[in-house]
Amino acid sequence: MINVTIVKVLEFIFYPLIAFVIGIILMGLFRKIMARIQRRYGPPLLQPLIDIIRFFSQRTVSHGKIFSFGVILALAGSLVVLLFIPFGKICPLCGSGDLLLILYLMLFTPISIALSGGEGANPNISIGVSRKLMLSLGYEVPFLMIILSVMSFYKTTSLVEIIKYQQNYHWAIFNFPLIIPGIAYILILPAMMGVRPFDVASAPQEIASGPVVEYGGKFLGLNHIEHAIHMFIGIALFIDLFLGGGPNIGLFLVEMFIIFFIAVFINAMFPRYRTDQAIKYLWRWPSILAFIGLVLVRIHVKF
Amino acid sequence: MNTETLLKFILIVSFGGAFLTYILGKISRVLREIFAVLTGISVVVFSLMLYGKTGTLIYAKNFLGFSLLVSINNLSWLFLITLSVVSFLSVVFSLSYIRGHERTDFYYLMLLLVNAGMAGVVLSADLISFYIFWEIMSWSTFLLISYNRGPALSAGMKYIIMSVVGSAAMMFGIISIYTTYGTLIISEISIQRLSLPPNYILLLFILFSIAFGIKNAFWPFHIWLPPAHSEAPSPFSAVLSGILIKMGTYGFLLFMYVIFGMKVFLELGPSFFSFHNILCLLGAITVVIPTFTALLQYDAKKLLAWHSIGQIGYIIIGISLGTSLSVAGGIFHFVNHATFKALLFLTVGAVEYRTGGVRDLNSLGGLIKKMPITFIGALIGALGIIGVPLTNGFVSKWMIYKALILKGNTFLAFAALIGTWGTLLSFYKFLHNIFLGQLSEKYKNIKKAPFCMQFPIIIYSLIIILFGILPGIVLKVINTILTSFGFESLNVTIWGIASESGILNTINIFTAVVIVVIAVWIISRLGAKTRLVAQDDNYAAGSYIPKEKYNFTAAFYKPMTRIIGPVLKDIVNNFYLILGRGTVAAGNGIRKVYTGDIGYYVIYIILFLAVLILIKVGFKL
Repeated sequence: MINVTIVKVLEFIFYPLIAFVIGIILMGLFRKIMARIQRRYGPPLLQPLIDIIRFFSQRTVSHGKIFSFGVILALAGSLVVLLFIPFGKICPLCGSGDLLLILYLMLFTPISIALSGGEGANPNISIGVSRKLMLSLGYEVPFLMIILSVMSFYKTTSLVEIIKYQQNYHWAIFNFPLIIPGIAYILILPAMMGVRPFDVASAPQEIASGPVVEYGGKFLGLNHIEHAIHMFIGIALFIDLFLGGGPNIGLFLVEMFIIFFIAVFINAMFPRYRTDQAIKYLWRWPSILAFIGLVLVRIHVKF
Repeated sequence: MNTETLLKFILIVSFGGAFLTYILGKISRVLREIFAVLTGISVVVFSLMLYGKTGTLIYAKNFLGFSLLVSINNLSWLFLITLSVVSFLSVVFSLSYIRGHERTDFYYLMLLLVNAGMAGVVLSADLISFYIFWEIMSWSTFLLISYNRGPALSAGMKYIIMSVVGSAAMMFGIISIYTTYGTLIISEISIQRLSLPPNYILLLFILFSIAFGIKNAFWPFHIWLPPAHSEAPSPFSAVLSGILIKMGTYGFLLFMYVIFGMKVFLELGPSFFSFHNILCLLGAITVVIPTFTALLQYDAKKLLAWHSIGQIGYIIIGISLGTSLSVAGGIFHFVNHATFKALLFLTVGAVEYRTGGVRDLNSLGGLIKKMPITFIGALIGALGIIGVPLTNGFVSKWMIYKALILKGNTFLAFAALIGTWGTLLSFYKFLHNIFLGQLSEKYKNIKKAPFCMQFPIIIYSLIIILFGILPGIVLKVINTILTSFGFESLNVTIWGIASESGILNTINIFTAVVIVVIAVWIISRLGAKTRLVAQDDNYAAGSYIPKEKYNFTAAFYKPMTRIIGPVLKDIVNNFYLILGRGTVAAGNGIRKVYTGDIGYYVIYIILFLAVLILIKVGFKL
C-alpha cells in the first residue's frame, strides 16, 4: 500500500519533468532540423533550455494582475492536462476523468493566455488571440468528429480503456473504419501544433508573435515551458488515440519522434496560410474525411 | 410549520408583497425598496424550509366548479428554490439599477408579480391554476419587457403575440384533457394516463409543446427572445433568461415524466420519428445555429440572448433523450444556466449602469482596471457557460455529452460539443471587448459598481464555483427527482459521479489544479522581480502614440464571420415575417368585403337574395 502511494507521488513529480525534458529536446530539434533544411548550422540542441534559464534571470515587465496570473495559469493548465494523458503505463490522474474532461481541460491554457494577453492591451495580441481562437474552431470541427468516432467505436469515453483495447487487438489506425479518422487527424495535426502553414496566431513577421509579444523575462520563460509541454501533449494524445498508446515508453518515444519529424518537414515546406484559407482547408478535406469516418463507424457499430 | 402553511405563506407573501410594495412605493422610496427586498428574501426562506417536504394545499374550493390546488414535490422544489434565489438577487441588483428611473413602483410591482406567477406555476397541482399563473407570468413579463419604451415596445409586442399563440394552444389542450379525463388535477390525470390511445396523447403533446416551446424559445420558436432579452432592463433580463424561459422546461418535465410518464413519452410516435427523437433533433439545431449566430452580434445583451437559446438546446437534448444520466444533466444544466446567465446579464447591467447605457461591444474596452469585481464575475460566468472544468456548467454538459455518446447518438453529441467552441469564441469576444484591451479616454473616470450590484455578482460567482467543485449538492436532489420519475438513480457522491464507463471526480481535479498552480507560482517566484508598467509605455517604448487608436475590437472574427455569416441568415424570422405579412394582407382583403358600412351589407343581402331568386327562376325554366 505504501509502495503504491510512493510510486503515485513519484509519478506526479517526475511525469511533468519527463514531459518538459522531451518537449525541450523537441523544441531544440525543431530549430536544428529547420536550420539543416535551410543549409544553416543551427543552434545547439539545448538552446531552448539555455534561453529559459536566461529569461528567468532577466527583469520582467507586467501590466496587471490578470496579465501575470494568466501566464502562471496557462502553464498550470497544461501541466494538469498532462496528468490526465497516459504515457506508457504512467498516468497519475486517469482515475478522475475521461477523454471528455481532457478535451475541456485543454481550454484552460488558451483561455488563460488570451485573458493575460487581453490585459496586455496590445492590438497585436488581440489579433493573435482572435486568430488562434478562429483556427481552433477550425480544427475542432474535424477533431471532435475524430474523437467521437474513436469513442463510439470502442464504446467508452475513457482514454485508458481505449488504449487497453488497442493493445489487446489492433492499433486504432490499422482498424478499417478508424483509419479514415486517423488520416484526418494527421491532416489537422500541424494546425493543432501551430506549425506552418497554420502559424497564423504567432505569425512573427506580421503581428510580432501575436499573443506572446508583451511577455519578457520570466513570463516568456514560463511561456516557453508551456510550449514544450504543449508539444508533448499534442503528439502524445495522437499516439494514445491511434497508435496504441505505446506498449512501453521506448516505443512511445519512437512514435513521438516520427510524428514530430513529419510535422517539422511540413513546417519547412509550406508558406503560411491566411486565417480564412486555413479555416477553409480545415473545414474541407479533414472534415469530410472525419465525417465519412464517423458515418462508417456508426454503421460498423450498428451491424 | 407544516407544509400547507408554508405553501399558503409563499403564495400570500409573493403576491401580497408585490402589491404592498407598489402601494408603499407611493409613500416613500426607502419603504418600497425595503419591502421589495423583504418579499424576495422571505420567499427564499420559505422555499428553503420546504426542502424535502411533500404536500398539497387546496386554496380555492369552488372556482367555476373546480378546486384549485398547490403542491410541493422534489421537482417543483428545485425550480422554486432556483427561481426565488434568482428573483431575490435581481431585486437586490435593481435597487441601484432602477433608482432614478420613472415608474419605479410599476417596475417593482411587475418584477415581483412575475416571480409570484412563476412560483405559482411550479407549485400548481391542477391545470387551471397552472394556466392562471402562467398567464399572470406572461402578461407581467410583457409589461416589463416594454418598460423602456422605444424599441422595447416592438420587442414586447413580438413576445406577447407568440406567447398568446402558445397560451391558446395550451387552453385548447387543457379543455381537451378535461373533456376526456373529466378532471384537471395533475395526480388524477396521471392515474388514468394509460387508458387512452397514444395518438391522442401525441396530439396533446404537440399542443403543449407549442406553448412550452414558445416560452422555452428553442428553434424554431426563438424569434421573440433576442429582442426581448436585449431590450428589457438588465436585472429583469437575468430573471427572463435565468428562469422565466425555463418555465417551459418545467412544463415539458411535468408532461413528459410526471403526467404521462417516461414509458408513454418515450414510445410516442413512429420509431425513428418518435416525439422524443424529434425534440432531441430540435435541441441539437437549437444548440448550433443560435450559438454561431451569437458570434455575429456586437450588442452585448443580444449576444447573451442568442446564447440563452443555445443553452436551452442542451437542456432540451438532456431532458428529452430519456436516459437517467441525460435527464439529470438536463435538469442540472437548468440550475446552472440560471446561475451563470443571470450573472452575465447582471455584469452587463453593471457596465451599462456605469457607462450610461453603453452595451455596444465595439465601443467599450479596458474596463478591468475600473470594475475588477464585475470583470471577475463576467469571467466566472463566461467560464461556466463555456463549460470549463471546475465550473458547474462543465458537470452538467459533461453528463449530457456522456449520455449522448453512451446512447450512440454521435451526431447529436457532435452538435453539443461544437456548440461549446462557438460559445468559447463569442465569450472571449465578450470579455475582451468590454473588459480587456485599452481603456477608452471617455471612461477614464468610471467608478466601480455599487455594492447592491456587486453583491449578487459575488453570490452567483461563488455558487458557480461551488457547484463546479461539489456538484453532488444539487445532484443529490436531482437523484430523488429521477427516482420519482421512475429512472434508475445515479451513483452520485458529493464531489462527482460515476457512470457506466468512466468517472468524474471534481474534487481531485480541483486539488490537482490548486497544487499545480501553487507549484508554478513558486517557480515563477524564483525568477527576477517584476515591475508594473503602463501598457503604452512598453508598446511605444516611451514615445508618444495617439490614444484610442490601438484597440482591436470591431470585426473581431472577420475571417470566420465572412465564411459562416451567409449561412446563418435568420430564415425562421423571415418565415414568421412572411406569415405575419400574409395574415395582414388576408385581413385587408377581408376588410374590403366587411367594410363596416351598413350600406354594403344591405347590398350583400340584396345580391344574395338576387342570386337565390336567379337560381329559383333558373330551375323553373
